[in-house]
Amino acid sequence: MRFAFRALPAAGGGTLTPRPVVGIALEGLTDAPMECLLDTGALRTRMSAELAPLAGIELTGTVTEELYVGGLKTVGALARVNLTVTDGADEFSWDAPVWFCDPWPHPFGLAGLEGFLHYFLVTIRAYDGYLDIEPRPDTEGT
Amino acid sequence: MPTMTVSGHQYDLDALRVQKALQGALPEPIQEHFVVINGRRWPPKQVLALVTGLDRADFTTHQARRALTRLGFTAGRSAGPRRQHPGAATATAPSPPAAAGPPARPQPLVEDLRPFIGLWVAVRDDEVLVAAPSPKEVVAWLAQHRQRAQSMFRVPDSEQAINGAAPQ
Repeated sequence: MRFAFRALPAAGGGTLTPRPVVGIALEGLTDAPMECLLDTGALRTRMSAELAPLAGIELTGTVTEELYVGGLKTVGALARVNLTVTDGADEFSWDAPVWFCDPWPHPFGLAGLEGFLHYFLVTIRAYDGYLDIEPRPDTEGT
Repeated sequence: MPTMTVSGHQYDLDALRVQKALQGALPEPIQEHFVVINGRRWPPKQVLALVTGLDRADFTTHQARRALTRLGFTAGRSAGPRRQHPGAATATAPSPPAAAGPPARPQPLVEDLRPFIGLWVAVRDDEVLVAAPSPKEVVAWLAQHRQRAQSMFRVPDSEQAINGAAPQ
């Protein structure tokens, strides 16, 4: 599956450098896949806690951790959820740990090692402005 | 302030009143015709119904479009789904050969996103489906209008907003 880098407008005019992103849909929220920044330096996969109730994901009583992202302190709550990626033609779903963070003022989620990179072979072609992902043959998913 | 007759009723309308009537509303999906108000595309009939309180069955799209263009709003016609990013078009497309520097590539969505800096958006096929202050409103809009987005994100208001997302 291929995903174009996301180009964005700069507030002061012009455009920001396009970033490698993947739209990851939470089970229960398949009509609105959350765009996640591909982050090879991140251990976890993280999204805004605002999304959890929209997808019917219960976070009460789950494991939490405090962390700093971009200098901002936040609290992540762990949930194991079903995730889906699709390019419109192919689709792949898998179960993975996702940390739902509050506050999360960032524009994207983060697709890190746990939850995303461990499940795919990823080829980043920054020069050409896109990335390819292929589910690992031995990955449990559909 | 121009006086207009819509479906047998007279209204005193101006651009400001129209803009005010749209506050708090989200544009519905564009079928074909649209008018641009505050940097966003709106179905003409939705706008005129919000402004006048009339039922949409009481007037046609062309009447609504004509009334709104008289007030100075730009009108247009959707060309349908736009060209996808060459990298996203097909997963099996051969890769472009390496050359001296990244190829210049049009980014049609970038300018369409500009009015929505700071807002959450849902996009599909290089088109902004909806923009709203929260993901909850975006998700509700998609469900209400039975639309499926390719992705949802917040248009950052600064480069730091993206850089800051990666652990330092």
